Amino acid sequence: MSPVSGRNRKQKGANALKLGMYFRRHWQLYALLILPISYFLLFKYGPMYGVIIAFKDFNFFQGINGSKWIGFDAFREVFAMKDFYKTLRNTLMLNFLDLLLSFPAPLILAIMLYELKSVWFKKLSQTILYIPHFISWVIIGGIVYQVFGTQSGMINNIVTSLGFDAIPFLTDKNDWLLTYLLVGVWQSAGWGTIIYLAALTGINKELFEAAEVDGAGRLRKIWSITLPSLKPTIVTLLIINLGNMIAIGFERPYIIGNTAVREYSDVLSTFVYRIGIESGQYTLATVVGLFQAVVGLVFVLGANYASKKLADQSIL
Amino acid sequence: MAINAKTKKKTSILLALTLVCTLLLSACGGKDKENGSSGNSGASGKQVTLKVEVFDRGNSPAGSTITNNYLTNYVQDNFGKPNNINVQFVPVPRSEEVKKLNVLMASGGDVPDIVFTYDSATFYRYAQQGGLTELSELIEQHAPNLKSFLGEDTLAYGQFEGQQFAIPAKRSHLGKYSSFIRQDWLDKLNLPIPQTTDELYNTLKAFKEKDPGQTGGKVIPLGMALAPAQYEPLIWSFIQPLTDEQRITLTQQLGSRDYPTLLPGFKDALQFMNKLYNEGLMSVDFSLDEDKKKLSEDVSKGLVGFFSEDDMNPFYPDGMYATLQANNPGATLTSVDVYSNSEGKHPKPEYAPIGLFIMIPKTSDRAVEAIKYLDWMASENNLFNMQNGVEGENYTLKDGVPVMKADATEEAKNRIYNWGDMAIISNGKQLGDADKNVEAYVLGMPEQYQDETRRALTVSRNDTFKPVKFDRPIEAQNKYGTGLLDKFHEIVVQTTMAKPDKFESTFESMMKDYMANGGQAILDERTKVYESMK
Repeated sequence: MSPVSGRNRKQKGANALKLGMYFRRHWQLYALLILPISYFLLFKYGPMYGVIIAFKDFNFFQGINGSKWIGFDAFREVFAMKDFYKTLRNTLMLNFLDLLLSFPAPLILAIMLYELKSVWFKKLSQTILYIPHFISWVIIGGIVYQVFGTQSGMINNIVTSLGFDAIPFLTDKNDWLLTYLLVGVWQSAGWGTIIYLAALTGINKELFEAAEVDGAGRLRKIWSITLPSLKPTIVTLLIINLGNMIAIGFERPYIIGNTAVREYSDVLSTFVYRIGIESGQYTLATVVGLFQAVVGLVFVLGANYASKKLADQSIL
Repeated sequence: MAINAKTKKKTSILLALTLVCTLLLSACGGKDKENGSSGNSGASGKQVTLKVEVFDRGNSPAGSTITNNYLTNYVQDNFGKPNNINVQFVPVPRSEEVKKLNVLMASGGDVPDIVFTYDSATFYRYAQQGGLTELSELIEQHAPNLKSFLGEDTLAYGQFEGQQFAIPAKRSHLGKYSSFIRQDWLDKLNLPIPQTTDELYNTLKAFKEKDPGQTGGKVIPLGMALAPAQYEPLIWSFIQPLTDEQRITLTQQLGSRDYPTLLPGFKDALQFMNKLYNEGLMSVDFSLDEDKKKLSEDVSKGLVGFFSEDDMNPFYPDGMYATLQANNPGATLTSVDVYSNSEGKHPKPEYAPIGLFIMIPKTSDRAVEAIKYLDWMASENNLFNMQNGVEGENYTLKDGVPVMKADATEEAKNRIYNWGDMAIISNGKQLGDADKNVEAYVLGMPEQYQDETRRALTVSRNDTFKPVKFDRPIEAQNKYGTGLLDKFHEIVVQTTMAKPDKFESTFESMMKDYMANGGQAILDERTKVYESMK
């Protein structure tokens, strides 16, 4: 028993009392928290338990606990695979190019929409721009084959009827890259404008009026008022995007990709699918997933740190 | 402020505690339930439920579903009721059978009592990981009819390290592929039917240059797809005659097929494909066409001069040939055996004499009922009835071969729309001998195509060779098979589409990649097994 001084004890008692009062007053707020927290525990933290598969020779008839521990053997095996590095390179490459092309697209689109005067036209074009976001990749894949096919695709029908050689949009890896990126922009740019448009409505209109009085033209206003007002949004989205550099959706590369361009279209998610779901090597698939998660975490923290230092903006 | 900080700390401790609890809880939940394989029979009193997997091809006719149709009721009435068993069917999409089966098996409790797959690697993996019920005793006790129906040879394919972990279905017709040529185009150009690969090349060139189908330059002399039925006949015809040692050590089994990646002549085959592709004699987008949809579309449109395909595929009602003739009156296809090797033969692979691997998961409590079900199917006329329907309504017998009635009512036809997926112990109709089995297929086709079907089925059985069989699984194949199959397709696509001067370097680098990703491991293991077999 360590001797506790009277003052200390008193202090503790007072603190407990205050804490009780605090909870009595604010318990509704904590009650509201229960649902989201249990969601995260159940669906985000709970499954993390499965990560130990990466360290086990997983056999699904024996379950996770019944399988043998193998330490880092599976990591060694994955890091010795040539395909792992190829898919890692492709993941980073596709994401980086996507960032260059798909990241500015919704921004530009949002500013253009914002500048529109006619309300009904604005609403109409917004709706049309959103639609691709709601189309499943499987269907987009079908459309892409119809439009970009070499022999009977719409575009190549025009190209060949003009007397040029057909362009192998889907079967030459460099042409394919372009197809992949453009389809991505088409699918996601409209939807991406939502956040920017929301931020734009927050700009004080007086700023524009004052600039007009000062004789600023449209471009000047965009450059000096609209863009600076969007800076926090842009930085936040950029951080999130950078954090996702190592993660890549499964459907887009899997469906738009094909055997002829696997050199570029084979990414980590399709790799995991192939060794995990198709070949049943769950241990290796888990290793790759864990690797992705760890690198992704480093990326997010790094990007956040950099932006805090450089632009004084951060999300943590 | 101070309170705030304290509260925060308390809250986070609380959160951490909750987290730990959740983890512990899920840890307990993750434990697999362990239980015996054979349960007691339900004959005494309470009805038991037997769950049986069934392939769902999404083609159930109106009024019936994949889990409730004429055949499921037939099973229930003739097997379920007398034995006090409720037979439930669990649908699995045909195109995702292995993936869905993996998920089902991993789920433990929910897995059907009878599952199956065409993929031997999947079967070996389940067997090796101890997920399957050993069946030899059960067969001995409960399945005399099944045993005599399948025979020792077929059953041997279901063994893993001496134990019977699967019941392979028996295959009635072993032929795979035939080739087809537009006879009306040949007639128009006054050309004979090509007999060798060289003659075929000249014919294809003539098709391209003279465009006898007046397609307006869209002619596809050789219809190709990235599917075995199209590339296998071509590639295998270039493989040189092999010694036993070469066949055993250098063949690579990927998935359920033998592949010739390392066999002498493989490169020549690719070189030929490269030539055809670069001269514009082959489907340009074949690499995008893994499900043969584009090919069958092109054939139906009348753009394709020559192609190879699963022997019976073009002849089904409303199939490729029927659509072709609807679009182009006067178009005729002839079944031909063209691709030839250095000896003038037409080598092509044939099926192993088995179909599905039927398995009973170890977690199943109904192993006895499951075996009884399979035995019931093999006994009396049950298999025949499931495959052919009702005499007089679906078929009439002619020399012991059921002839499908062309004028059968829609309702009668719909009865047995998925007989192939329900009669799991057999792949194809079983009538006693191979010729009768083939004849049953022929008579199942629309009348105007029956002669041509018969010819195609003769072609597909000509000069065939069997898949290499080992008495033990090659582990490297199970491990790398799926990934290497993708690599194999990449080799075919990249070398075919390369510019002719890049062919050599493309082939070299693709092969290196293939070997590094498991090809070498398979080669080593097969060589070792060959040594030990000597």
